[in-house]
Amino acid sequence: MGIVEPGMEAMLDVFVHETDTMLEELDEVLIDSEKAHNIDDDNINTIFRITHTIKGSAAMMNFEGMSNLAHSVEDVFYILRDNPEKLKIVFDTIFDLVFQSSDFLKDELNQIRTGVYEPSDPSDLIDKIHGQVAVLKGEAEPETVKSAASDNAGAVIEADEDSETLHIFFDDGCQMENIRGFMIVNQLEKICDSVKTVPANIETDPETAAEIEKKGLFITIKPADALQEAIETVESALSVKSYEVVAKGEQSEAPAEKEAVAEAAPAEAKAETKTEEVAKEVAAAKQAAPAPQANKKAKELNKVIAKENAKQSLLSVNQAKLDKLMDLVGEIVTTESMVARNPDIQDLKLDNFTKSLRELDKLTDELQDIVMSIRMVPLQGTFHKMSRIVRDMSKKLDKKVELVTIGEDTEVDKTINDAIVDPLMHMVRNSVDHAIETPERRRELGKPETGTVTLYARNAGGEILIDITDDGSGLDAQKLIAKAKEKGILTKPESEYTEKEAFQLIMAAGFSTNTAVTEFSGRGVGMDVVRKNIEQINGSISIHSVKDEGTTFTIKIPLTIAIVDGMNIGVGNNIFTLPITSIKQLFRLSDESSIIRNTNGAEMIMIRGECYPIYRLHKVFGIGDTEKPFTEGLLIHVESGNGNACFFADELLGEYQVVVKPFPVLFNHYGLKKMGLSGCSILGDGSISLIIDAATLISNNK
Amino acid sequence: MNENTTISSDVIEELSNRYLLFKIDDAYYGLSLTSVREIISVPKITDIPGTPDYVKGIINLRGGVVPVIDVRLKFAMPEREYDSQTCIVVLDVHDTSVGLIVDRVSEVVTVEQEQLVAPPDMGDVVSNYLDSVSEIADKIVLNIDCVKFLEQDVNSLQL
Repeated sequence: MGIVEPGMEAMLDVFVHETDTMLEELDEVLIDSEKAHNIDDDNINTIFRITHTIKGSAAMMNFEGMSNLAHSVEDVFYILRDNPEKLKIVFDTIFDLVFQSSDFLKDELNQIRTGVYEPSDPSDLIDKIHGQVAVLKGEAEPETVKSAASDNAGAVIEADEDSETLHIFFDDGCQMENIRGFMIVNQLEKICDSVKTVPANIETDPETAAEIEKKGLFITIKPADALQEAIETVESALSVKSYEVVAKGEQSEAPAEKEAVAEAAPAEAKAETKTEEVAKEVAAAKQAAPAPQANKKAKELNKVIAKENAKQSLLSVNQAKLDKLMDLVGEIVTTESMVARNPDIQDLKLDNFTKSLRELDKLTDELQDIVMSIRMVPLQGTFHKMSRIVRDMSKKLDKKVELVTIGEDTEVDKTINDAIVDPLMHMVRNSVDHAIETPERRRELGKPETGTVTLYARNAGGEILIDITDDGSGLDAQKLIAKAKEKGILTKPESEYTEKEAFQLIMAAGFSTNTAVTEFSGRGVGMDVVRKNIEQINGSISIHSVKDEGTTFTIKIPLTIAIVDGMNIGVGNNIFTLPITSIKQLFRLSDESSIIRNTNGAEMIMIRGECYPIYRLHKVFGIGDTEKPFTEGLLIHVESGNGNACFFADELLGEYQVVVKPFPVLFNHYGLKKMGLSGCSILGDGSISLIIDAATLISNNK
Repeated sequence: MNENTTISSDVIEELSNRYLLFKIDDAYYGLSLTSVREIISVPKITDIPGTPDYVKGIINLRGGVVPVIDVRLKFAMPEREYDSQTCIVVLDVHDTSVGLIVDRVSEVVTVEQEQLVAPPDMGDVVSNYLDSVSEIADKIVLNIDCVKFLEQDVNSLQL
């Protein structure tokens, strides 16, 4: 290896994993903060903690560059922690630099992970950051702070000894923020000598609503003693999402802090974490205010503590171990049915044994559920990665794009979650790069300048649907067909292509609509790889698009690919498993009167007045007797997204829960998936069954 | 898996000089021991529809699913009933396991580098899959290149 000193290799894994997790958290915090155009104390502390930890652990592992860079970022937030208002001077620059630092650290980590590590030199970046630190330190005079802040409307805080400022955010989408703000101001005026707001004129100027929505409402009250009461008023107001007490300028800060706590506690140093802040407030409230209020505060404090505890009780586990556990549970389930259906005891009457067996069955079911739930992760992390991509791209491409995520708490199996990151990333990139127009063009088209890309995840039965919607240029079916013709990948005459089929063309191999290769997409390996990746986890993609209005890609993926409830059926010497969800009914025919034969040999059956095609599995898979009379076998009425049909097989072997195993990679190019086989499974007696995907089988034989 | 991958480089070097010999009809073939995982008798094989003849199907190897290829058919030789001598050599190639059905395995031999000569191109199916030819104790051994042998199948999965 040689990356680290001998004896440190074991630590390296831990270092890489921990740092990775922290960097992801850092990105999340940064993106949230950038959106809010403000970093609250909590987040400043988080960033400070993360960079501090990375600095320490990187130094321990002897990664000097990483450590130095983390150190310089830490310096910035060390200053900001004490003087949050200084952030306004350097807001944009700092964010860019911190994002760059995070990228640099991630790159280094990736190299370390692959085992070939060439330390890069971050000194450029460090210099830039130090420059910003100098700005922060050098321009500490209050005048500068004020003048810089006044451009940044919404941030002017009059540093008056006897005043307090509240920064209030309203619920997203509650509308008429200005009027809501004014109502609070009205109430505050009753308890305070004077109330000022930023932005001003909120009552008369409806334009301020948008500003408040973005930056929040600053309310400065006088005298400072009224703060407690004011907070209560704000808390009881409708639609308030969050509020905070804004710390004042450097000099006025300390006394103000004292005032708030003065009557009760001795003056303490500035609160460093929210917990402490709340604790102090509790202390203050307990002595200064009546009991109920203290209780309320204490509850709040408990909440904060509970939140921290919840964080600690999480445990990160090596995924390989979980996979192993999953496999083992699968084996236990099969072994259990092997015992229960053991031919040796088939004819015996064993009451107690059967009872115990039922108990065991219940437990293994539960075990299976638990193991499955362990592996379920919310899509949140994946979606957050996307917001980072959209942010970077829109800056680079000079487009205005907003990413909206809905349903990010939808949970999917970890394997699936990992498998969709790349495809999603590619599609989001495509949307921002190709679909969303430049602001000028959008204005011409009468669209809002800011384009929107929406990620919408939801649970639909046993499947997860993820929509990637943009309000960009949409797909042009004619252009797509022309392009495909040029590339020679049309499979039938142009005129026969429906719009939907034309859209599907962009997912064909060797098709790329953008001739120009950009930094982000357009290498022509795009959508076909996306499709392949999605198909690998038994998913599918559909496209809906309207020209100049936008495009929606819908990815349909299974919740889990691990375990299936199925009916085992025999066909020739083979055993097939058909998922129970697709079976409507199983039956035998006593005569063939309901069978209809077409002139071309196609066979159909009438069931309760409806006509369904019959697929002989013998014929479909080329095994056994393909001419067997229908009266000697089993008919299975199957329903799927691609229509209903009847399958014909030899016999029914029973209902089983099977652990789905993918086919060995060797079979990848024999098109088993297309044929309607989704995987295989090892049965209780050690033989192997092939799992049928009814939907694909039906559409393939239509 | 981990135990397998942490074999030290010394062991691999030692193994690379050694070949497992197996017989088809009267000819000897060699497989480098580095890619051989184990030898098993022929269990029940599940046929997979839509695959070429030489792909016999999949077997259950202690809970894992392993594809098996009949070497006779792959070499375009006539098929033969499996008997008590027939066995499956399980290989690890490109991180996947593949079983080869052979008439019988004979022995493991050590072959020095200088004993190996480049294979003649006889223009038949077998030559396509050969790595080298060696002569050991009066036996002519055709050493199979596992990667070439599975090339068609393995290549397509890297697309």
